[in-house]
Amino acid sequence: MSHAITIDGLHYRAGKAFEISDLTLRVPAGAIYGFLGPNGSGKTTTIRLVLGLLRPLAGRICVLDALVPNDVVRVLARTGYVPEQPHLDHTLTVTEAMRFHAAFYPTWDQSWAERLLQDFELDPTQPFGKLSKGQKGKLMMLLALAQRPELLVLDEPTDGLDPVVRRDMLEALLDYVAQHGATVFVSSHLIHELERICDWVAIMDRGNLVSELPMDRFKAGIKRLKVAGAPADLAGLPFKVLARERNGSTESWVVSGWQPDMTAFFERGETTLREIIDLDLEDGFVELLRAARRPVA
Amino acid sequence: MLDRIDPRSPTPLYAQIAGRLRSAIAAGDLRPGEPLPSVRQLAAELRVNPATVVQAYRDLETEGFVEMRQGAGTFVREVATERRARERTRVARQLIRTLIADAARAGIPVADLVAAIEHELGAKTS
Repeated sequence: MSHAITIDGLHYRAGKAFEISDLTLRVPAGAIYGFLGPNGSGKTTTIRLVLGLLRPLAGRICVLDALVPNDVVRVLARTGYVPEQPHLDHTLTVTEAMRFHAAFYPTWDQSWAERLLQDFELDPTQPFGKLSKGQKGKLMMLLALAQRPELLVLDEPTDGLDPVVRRDMLEALLDYVAQHGATVFVSSHLIHELERICDWVAIMDRGNLVSELPMDRFKAGIKRLKVAGAPADLAGLPFKVLARERNGSTESWVVSGWQPDMTAFFERGETTLREIIDLDLEDGFVELLRAARRPVA
Repeated sequence: MLDRIDPRSPTPLYAQIAGRLRSAIAAGDLRPGEPLPSVRQLAAELRVNPATVVQAYRDLETEGFVEMRQGAGTFVREVATERRARERTRVARQLIRTLIADAARAGIPVADLVAAIEHELGAKTS
């Protein structure tokens, strides 16, 4: 299994306003794969399709070498899922929620679940409905990890939680990955957090995949260039110009697909390269989205 | 020694981690035979992907700074004094390169930069 998740030609529609058309995506086995996109871009919908909770109109979804939705039971048995909204019965206590969850997973690791219960400082007698937002998040993470999954699907698991809780949850997640080599598919708005932990990054916008690259390549390839003597027509450049802005005699370009040896291109033509400025994941994300919405002519 | 990694930097995290450890070995802060933290421990501590730590350790092993022993962990190797000195020189040059580039961007001539360094060191003669 070289990929934990493969999606080909996926089509889905919800009402008239939202559509995923022809989505293709590859999550390498063992990767921590960050799934970024603004609200309403189709992240949660894609996650629900991957887990067989929604039916596609067309396309092929393969998770852990099994087809979804046909073989979804085999997929779910090996997949830990932390949904955007915790979905447990509010009257169940923490212990009851754990017993309930464990019953579905033969791989459940009770001793590790109890360790996490202590690490997370959760009161086993508290009903789920009485837990704080952070405690709910930690319990959902505990349940997903203690079932010892091969794949973890996390839908904004730490968004809206305080930094202490986020740290506890991430440490437990990374500890699990270090021991068991699981694949993690995680969506979040907390870009700096993803920048730390992910080795792959994908960006969704309006139901389309805008970019899917290893993190290092994504960051190495997106730059801001200061150039002088820029041509009016940008055809024939070895990289893609996502945005251009004029400041007096120079122009500022945001480019993708940049490689260090491309400086040679500027030695031949009339355009002079003044400076190369690095962008972080958040800047790159914003520039890519802007370009996806209104391409540079 | 590893608390200053910057996820927003364009330098990949594995290269930053390897760089910090290389400097610590060159400076003698990490001594021959001393174990590095386990992958699991360091990944959780830095909140980075365990694969990132593994890659940093592998790079250091290829360069001969550490040795990965199956099941036992990763240990600092005996590194020749000249090699450690070379490594320190390399780091020093890199620091200066960054400094010069930053100064150029701020329009500071090299002479002013040198004067400022001397001033900071309190090494100003006359």
